[in-house]
Amino acid sequence: MKQVFKTTGLLTIALLAGIFIMLFYNSVSFFFDVPPIDFFTGAQWDPDNTKNAYSIMPLLVSTGLVAFGSMIIAVPLGILCAAFLSELAPRKLQAVLKPVIEMLAAIPSVAIGFLGITLVGPGIARIFGIENGLNALNGSILLAVMALPTIITISEDAINAIPGSHREASLALGANQWQTLYRVVIPAAYPGLIAAVLLGLGRALGETMTVLMATGNTAEMPKGFLDSIRTITATIAIEMGEVPYRTTHYFALFAIAAVLFLITLLINLVGEYAANRLRKFQA
Amino acid sequence: MKVKGSDTEVNLAVQFAESFHRYKPSLFVSVSGGGSGLGIASLLNGTADIANASRRINNKEIALFREKGIAIDSFIFAQDAIAFIVADDLPLSSISTQQLADVLSGKTRNWEQITGKRLPVNIYGRQSNSGTHDFVKDRLHISFSPSAKQMNGNAQILEAIRADHSGIGYVGAGYVTHGATKGIKVLPVYTTDKAAAVSPLDAAKIAEDQYFFQRPLFQYFRAKDSLQIKPFIAFEQSPEGQKIIHTGGYYPAK
Repeated sequence: MKQVFKTTGLLTIALLAGIFIMLFYNSVSFFFDVPPIDFFTGAQWDPDNTKNAYSIMPLLVSTGLVAFGSMIIAVPLGILCAAFLSELAPRKLQAVLKPVIEMLAAIPSVAIGFLGITLVGPGIARIFGIENGLNALNGSILLAVMALPTIITISEDAINAIPGSHREASLALGANQWQTLYRVVIPAAYPGLIAAVLLGLGRALGETMTVLMATGNTAEMPKGFLDSIRTITATIAIEMGEVPYRTTHYFALFAIAAVLFLITLLINLVGEYAANRLRKFQA
Repeated sequence: MKVKGSDTEVNLAVQFAESFHRYKPSLFVSVSGGGSGLGIASLLNGTADIANASRRINNKEIALFREKGIAIDSFIFAQDAIAFIVADDLPLSSISTQQLADVLSGKTRNWEQITGKRLPVNIYGRQSNSGTHDFVKDRLHISFSPSAKQMNGNAQILEAIRADHSGIGYVGAGYVTHGATKGIKVLPVYTTDKAAAVSPLDAAKIAEDQYFFQRPLFQYFRAKDSLQIKPFIAFEQSPEGQKIIHTGGYYPAK
């Protein structure tokens, strides 16, 4: 019996290692064809038309832009919502709100992308007086909606985990409820909040379908939130289907996937580290 | 029987599959899209029996089939025309192939040079796994401007052009022949003589091979399956099949 548990445990690690090795093995073949300097410094991703136009920069900037934008929206919303839920909301409201927020996580990404095409995109076009709303801002808003459940749930756990004695001490010293919340409880929950934000960010970076549908997919270097963008994930999804097997272009897609993998891995590691610090702090 | 491939042909193929099932209930035909490239790849790895393709199979793909020792056969079941569409308030009544090439490659970035109206050009195209995308690109000998938006399908392009006064896009003519054209204008295309501009909706001209962006629609299948597939193909060629082609906004194969 013990062996069974051991094997299943090791199997997950083997899977992760397998994906890691597969990505990097194929990426290495790419860097034989295209020097890493061109890959990281160029400004054009256009493998179909220009020879060796394999620069990850426009894709990386697009991915960064849309993820950063989503965090600007989702972080304040998520943390304030979590604080409200755990500190201020009456029991009954809490009992309704929590499952509703968790249900938000269950909406398929295609459905969110659909909303982006029919509702959010045209709305943005009208508000900003531009011709088309399929841009980074559209993607950011949609990704914010998708990252919110993660951020709220983990933030709320972090805030809930602050011992009651902290609050009682603060109130006893004459601080009111608000002062207790933003001077004592939130600073104490800080590592947990960081973990929440980073895990939400990881979700936003890896999302594919929503951004593929809602951001226009132009391979040009974006100049702002009102430009159309094309993320790393969307590029892989669009081009993998018909790229000739084992060509430079094929390996290039593995290389950009490896870069994305490293970024999300790093963010998840930092997030886990922050979450562990919180646990230690509470123990 | 599984039919996969071109998004341009998918509506038509669904129509065929449905009426064919009524006519021969023992045979089930399932249809899905995904692009011509995907259809041919599925035929290669055995997950499809018929690949719909809005382009001819290319040399790379032929080599792959040869490598696997699969003999394939093809059949032209209809003709399609690509329509170039703009918003109906753009002061432009027809467009030359040269102008199209300049606009779509990003050389002309403002409508001022063509229409006199100062408006930046917004291009709505398909993703690179689309046969329509490749067809327009090859026919005009250009590469698309990097600022061209890549939409998921014909319907999304129509939707975008309807909202965007400065947009230009391309869709299969089947998407603009029957209604659904409010706010949208189909541009007749000419090569040198403006008076001879041909609309993609002009069936007579298409039958004479006069439109610049018309193309045969292919169905590829494994040669060893030909017996099994024959009834379906025969149905496509029957008068009833031709009627479906016509009502779908496509043109009969020559």
